[in-house]
Amino acid sequence: MTRLIDPGLERLRHMLREMATLSEQSVETAIKAYTESKPVTEEIFGWSEELNILHGQASDLAVELIARYQPLAGDLRYIESCFEISYGFSRLGRYAYDVAQIIDAFGDLSGCDSGEVTRMGEKVKKMVHIGVEAFFNEDTTAAMGLLQMDDEVDDAYRKHIHRIAVNKITNPRCTVAVTLAIRYLERMADHACYIGDSVVYVASGTRPSLR
Amino acid sequence: MEKLKLPTGVARRRRVVNLIFTALVFLAVLLAMVPLILILGEVVARGAPVISWKFLTSLPTPPEIAGGGIANALLGTFTMVGIATLISVPLGVGAGIFFSEWPESRLSFLSSFLNDVLAEFPSIVIGIFVYIVVVLTTKTFSALAGALALAIIMTPIIARTTEESLKLVPRTLREGSMALGVSRARTVTGVVISTGRAGLATGILLAIARAAGETAPLILTALGSTYYASGLMQPTAALSLLIYTYAISPFRDWQADAWGAALILVLLMLAINLLTKLTIGRKFAAVRAEI
Amino acid sequence: MTIMEMQKGGYGRQVEEKVEVDISPELDRGAAKLETRNLKAGFGTSEVLKGISLSFKEKSITAIMGPSGCGKTTFIRCLNRIHELTPGATVSGEVLLDGEDIYAPNVDSVAVRRKIGMIFQKPNPFPMMSVYDNAAAGLKLNGVRDRKVLDEVVERSLKMAFLWDEVKGELKKSGAALSGGQQQRLCIARALAVQPEVLLMDEPASALDPTATAKIEEAMAELKKDYTIVIVTHNLQQAARVSDYTAFLYLGELIEYGVTDRLFENPREQLTERYITGKFG
Repeated sequence: MTRLIDPGLERLRHMLREMATLSEQSVETAIKAYTESKPVTEEIFGWSEELNILHGQASDLAVELIARYQPLAGDLRYIESCFEISYGFSRLGRYAYDVAQIIDAFGDLSGCDSGEVTRMGEKVKKMVHIGVEAFFNEDTTAAMGLLQMDDEVDDAYRKHIHRIAVNKITNPRCTVAVTLAIRYLERMADHACYIGDSVVYVASGTRPSLR
Repeated sequence: MEKLKLPTGVARRRRVVNLIFTALVFLAVLLAMVPLILILGEVVARGAPVISWKFLTSLPTPPEIAGGGIANALLGTFTMVGIATLISVPLGVGAGIFFSEWPESRLSFLSSFLNDVLAEFPSIVIGIFVYIVVVLTTKTFSALAGALALAIIMTPIIARTTEESLKLVPRTLREGSMALGVSRARTVTGVVISTGRAGLATGILLAIARAAGETAPLILTALGSTYYASGLMQPTAALSLLIYTYAISPFRDWQADAWGAALILVLLMLAINLLTKLTIGRKFAAVRAEI
Repeated sequence: MTIMEMQKGGYGRQVEEKVEVDISPELDRGAAKLETRNLKAGFGTSEVLKGISLSFKEKSITAIMGPSGCGKTTFIRCLNRIHELTPGATVSGEVLLDGEDIYAPNVDSVAVRRKIGMIFQKPNPFPMMSVYDNAAAGLKLNGVRDRKVLDEVVERSLKMAFLWDEVKGELKKSGAALSGGQQQRLCIARALAVQPEVLLMDEPASALDPTATAKIEEAMAELKKDYTIVIVTHNLQQAARVSDYTAFLYLGELIEYGVTDRLFENPREQLTERYITGKFG
């Protein structure tokens, strides 16, 4: 039985799909560019802008659906999550852009040890992908898996900060670039985790991270 | 866009059929009115010349002697109908309330049925009954016997109209009253009856009009008289009795008087009906629309 | 703070605690003004309510909702013993007002109804009475004659029903001559005049336009400070707007009961979820 709100929900879902693709793309491109020291700022900037516009549209649509159809329970939670997730996607785009800007600012980083960044980058790419798929497939198990991965990322981040805090810095240029990149990657991981939260929230009304 | 107009052939045929049916219905009404109009016409034509103040205030005189009137008959009718009303209204309204408000009682179901039977009873049989029970035991024809016979006729009618009027009061009003913590009895007297009082009054007035015109039950109970009765336990005159006696008599002037009396009786009934329609009908029409 | 308010707090992780606001009133018996225990009811051989146990917290508004035919109207009519007035009606189980069963053998149902008042779906002012007499009806029909007392009660009740200002100059007008919304508020005033402790409302606004509905809901928000209110409604948004607790009935059974905010945002039962998202009923 098609309810009046269903076409609207479909449109919202479609918008988020678009945003998901764009943000995954941005994250992947940015990380790859960093490790290859390739300048991709303009491309990523374009995607980030588009993500902002889409976020605005998705929010408007979500508000419209609430005002018109006064959704409750599962529908209401879904629309709420859409607000949050669309914001999350726009942030992912923004952080991807921030990473791209590191390359712009610092130029060629091939001399630096980008192992940490590469490792964390892979994890983050995977997390974003898992989060997106979990949302569209309503897969709460996969979503819960993100918590552990986020813990690992947080751990790596804290270790890096600790290391540069206590040890003597031999190559400030590399260290700063890596630290910035890791900082942005850690935030991307957080947002991927929030997406996972939303999946669980839509299904059960509780948020795992807030336990 | 589809055409809104019918093809002319169909339209014309419809109009013709419409007209024919309207005409037929109109004709039916006229036909139904014919007896009423003819009767009224006859009565007015023959009765009007006889009516005068003297006619209304004099006692009857032997045939062929001028100056006779219907004074005692008027008084008799008013008296007997009056007493009958005093008896039948409390009984009838009470019974009607019981049938309407306590329908679950088996007594209610049974008596309601019996009530309907009594309402359709032949009035002559009621007259015979009262004759045996009252006239034979009191050894005299009387106004009281006549009033009793009329009361027996009026009570079931009043009971039925009361029951029906009260049943028209919506259940939600009763529930509204009881939901306030008002007892069932008080709900009936305070809300139900006051809401249905228009129907009650109408029923009573119509029963009165009916009783005023009854003849058969009075023949065996009041008998009729050419004098004023000096009490309730004597033969008493009544309009309907007078009409009957005079109409079948061979005397011209008596027959004329009968027409006069008939006109008075008809006017009386018209007056009661009009009174009902005009006062109670209009006053409560707005309220009936709300209900 | 409800879960919804925390959501709005943002996406940060700063909020540490999750506030549990779902108080199960069944456990909170001390404050239950009205309570049903295994209430069953029906007509003749058919059973409409299959055993409902619910409690109503004092000075709160509880909404009873469910699809047509679920028994919510029958349920509420059992709470003030109006159901038994219908020929053939059957009822069993207990309904406790302040701990006492109103269906106990020697209980005077008339007294019960003075304490538990009812507003009906279609406004039913007494058409033969004026606005004043309608408001005073509960008292007048029970023998109160003192004009001063009546005047005071009428004014107070009409004010509580948010009707005083609109009718104070026309108290002699027939009760039936008011607009639908005013009639319903008159019925509320009439019910309040006998000073009940509980107010039952059977879809009080379903026959009214949105403005009139809003006025009734405003009145309810005020009234809940002094009265325990139970409202039957098929309007989910209304239940969400006015009630503190909501019960969901389906085919004569209680499916779910809880704090309104929680129930409408995250119902426990699948059936409830399907009903409030419009997947049936």
